[in-house]
Amino acid sequence: MTAVRPARSARRIAGIGAGTLRHVVLLAGAGLMIAPFLYMIAISFTPNSYVLTTPPQFIPENPTLDNYAQALDAQDIPRYFLNSLLVAVVSTVLSVLLSSMMAYAFARFRFPGREVIFRILLVGLMIPAVMLLIPQFVLAKHLGLLDSLGGLVVFYVAGSLALNTFLLRGFLEQTPAELDEAMQMDGANAWTRYWRLALPLAKPGLATATIFTFLACWDEFAWALTIINDPDSRTLPVAIRLLAGQGNNAVQWGVVFAASVMAVVPVIVVFLVFQRYFVQGLVSGAVKG
Amino acid sequence: MKRPTRILAASAAAAAIALIAAGCSAGDGGDSGGDITLTFWGSYGNGGNSAQQDVLESTLIPAFEKAHPGVHVEYLDVPYDDLLQKLTTSAAGDELPDLVRADLGWVPRFADLGVLVPLSKEMDDFQELADATYPGVLATNLWKGEYYGLPLDTNTRVLISNPAALQATGRTEPPATFADFQKMASELSGTGITLFADGGLGAWNLMPWIWSGGGDITDADVTKSSGYLDSAANVKTLQMLVDLYKAGQIGNGIVGNEGAVSTSEGLPGGNYATILDGPWMTGIWAGQFPDFAPVYSPVPAGDGGSISVVGGEDIVLTASSKHQKEAMEFIRFTQSEEFQLALVPTGQLSVITALGEKQVALDPKLEIFTKQLETARNRLAIPNASEVDTILNTELVPAFEGTISAKEALANAAEKIDELLAS
Repeated sequence: MTAVRPARSARRIAGIGAGTLRHVVLLAGAGLMIAPFLYMIAISFTPNSYVLTTPPQFIPENPTLDNYAQALDAQDIPRYFLNSLLVAVVSTVLSVLLSSMMAYAFARFRFPGREVIFRILLVGLMIPAVMLLIPQFVLAKHLGLLDSLGGLVVFYVAGSLALNTFLLRGFLEQTPAELDEAMQMDGANAWTRYWRLALPLAKPGLATATIFTFLACWDEFAWALTIINDPDSRTLPVAIRLLAGQGNNAVQWGVVFAASVMAVVPVIVVFLVFQRYFVQGLVSGAVKG
Repeated sequence: MKRPTRILAASAAAAAIALIAAGCSAGDGGDSGGDITLTFWGSYGNGGNSAQQDVLESTLIPAFEKAHPGVHVEYLDVPYDDLLQKLTTSAAGDELPDLVRADLGWVPRFADLGVLVPLSKEMDDFQELADATYPGVLATNLWKGEYYGLPLDTNTRVLISNPAALQATGRTEPPATFADFQKMASELSGTGITLFADGGLGAWNLMPWIWSGGGDITDADVTKSSGYLDSAANVKTLQMLVDLYKAGQIGNGIVGNEGAVSTSEGLPGGNYATILDGPWMTGIWAGQFPDFAPVYSPVPAGDGGSISVVGGEDIVLTASSKHQKEAMEFIRFTQSEEFQLALVPTGQLSVITALGEKQVALDPKLEIFTKQLETARNRLAIPNASEVDTILNTELVPAFEGTISAKEALANAAEKIDELLAS
C-alpha cells in the first residue's frame, strides 16, 4: 500500500505534465492556424493608410467599417456572392446526387466491365485541372456554355463526379448487403433501395462529399475566370482577384480582406452544418476505399 | 429521404436547367440593328482603384462612340496576372476579343502564335502614328520585321531617394553618376542606412544599370548574348553592384531574399537611401506614408549615359476580329491627345513624345519620368522573355555570394540566353 501511493502520485504528476504539454502543443498549432484569419479580420477593419504595418497590428487602432461599406456598395460584392452561392449550391447538389447514384451502381450491381469503367472514371482524378482548361473551353464553346453560370455548373459537376463516386462507393460497400437483399425480397426496386436505404446509411460519406464539392466550387478560380466575361456573372474569387489587382497599383488591402471575410462565411457555415458527419466520414473513407 | 432533401434536389435540378438554357440562348448578341460592338480586354480597373476604368468607360469610350455612330465599345476588366492565361485559352478557342491592352512583353508572344494583326502592314497611316511615339516604347511591338501593336501607355524607372538619407550624407542632390553613387555609399557607412535596394535581378531591375554602364544583353539583331552580356562594360557594372552588396550597401532583396524589407516600405521607412521605381509609387506612398516626400532624379549615369527601362502596355488587334476597320479606328483614337492626356491624372504616362510638356503641366511630378522616357529602352522582345528574367535571377546570384566572379556569372547567363535565342 505504502509502496503504491508514491508510484500513483508520480504517475498522476506525469499525467498532468503530459496533459499540459499536449495542450500547449495543441494551442500553439491552433494559434498558428488561426493567426492568418485573425490578421485578415483585423485588416478588414483597418483604414487603408494603416494596413501592412510592421509589426502587424492584430487589433486596429482606428477601427472602421469603411472597407465593408465599400466592398458591399462600390465593388458590387453581394451580386458576386449570390452568383457564387448559386453556382456552388446547384453544383454540389447535382454532383452529390449523380455521384451517389453512380456509386450505388458500382457498389451493388454486378455487370460486365464494372471495374474497367470504374478505373476509367478514376483517371479523371489523375489529370490536373489546368491541363483540361483549353479542351474544356473549346467544348464549352461548342455547347454554347461560354459566359454563363450554367457553364460553370456543368463543368464543376463533371469535374467533381470522379472523386465523389470514388468516395461514396467506399461507404456504400460498407453498408451490409443483407439489408439491401432483405428490401429486395420485400419487393423494393433499385430506386427505393438507393433512396430509402443506401443514402440514409451513407450520411457521413454524403456530408464529406458535400463539403469537398462545395469548397471546390466556391473557391474555383481558373475556369470561372476563363469562361465568364459578363461582369454581372462574375463569381466571388474572380471579383476578389480583381480587387487585389496587380503589383503596380496601390491595392486597397482593407477592401480585399473585407471581401475575403465575407467569402469565408459560407465555408464556415457548411463546415458547421456537416461537421457532425464529417470526421466520421473521413475515418470510414480512409479504411475502405 | 426526407421531403426537404427531395425539394432541394428538385429545385437544384430546375435551377441547373434554367442556368444552362440561359447560357445557350445568350449567343453572341450585341450586333443588332446594324450596330457593331467592339470588345476590348484590359486591366485598367485592377486593385480596387477604379480611376482609370472610370475615365475609360465614362469619358473616353462615350466620346469615341459619339464620333462613330453605330460602333459600341465593350470594355472587360480582367485581373492582370491572369489576363495572359485567359488570352491564351481564348486564342486556342478562337474566342479572342477585338482589342487587347497587352503588357508590352506579351506582344511578341501572341504575334508568334499568329493571333494578332500586323498593324504596320494593315494600317495605311501606321508610320505616321508610330513616329509620334517614343522609340523605346514603340519597339515593344516589333516582331519579325512587323509592328503588331501601338503603344497605349508607358512608364519607366527613375532613381527615387529618401530626403532624410540625402541629408545624412550632407547632400542636396541625389547621386547623378555611377561614381557619385559609389561615393554616397561610403558617406552612408555608419548611419545604418543602406544605399540601394531592389527586388531582384530580372531585366526590369538590371537593365537600367547595364545600359547606363554602356553595355547590352545581346547584339542589335537579338541573335547572340555571349560576347555582349559578358562584355568588359557589363563586368565593370556588375562588379560595382557586387562590391556595394558585399559592403552591405545594397539590400539582400536583390538576390531574391523574400524576407527583405520591400523597397516600397524600406525607402519611406529610412532603411534604404535610394531605389529605382515607377510613377505609381507616388500614389502608394500618398496613402500609406502621407508625410514622405520622395526625391525623383534620373537613373545614375555611367559610361553609356542615363538609360532606363520601358514598361507599360500596348494595344493590339486580334486576327479573329470581325470588325477590324472599326477596331483600327479605336486604335487611332487611343493615340489622340484627348485619350492620352485624359489618363495622365490617373497615373498613366503618355506614349506620344509631343505631349511630354502638357503631361508635365498636368502633373509636375512626372517631369523626371517624362525626360527619362526619351532615352529609355525596351527589354528583349522575344516570345519567351520571362525566361530571360529567370536566367538573370539564377545565374548572377553566385557573383553576389562571392562563389564565382562577375565575369563568370555574366558568361554563364549569356550562354543560357544563347540557348534560349537559338530555340
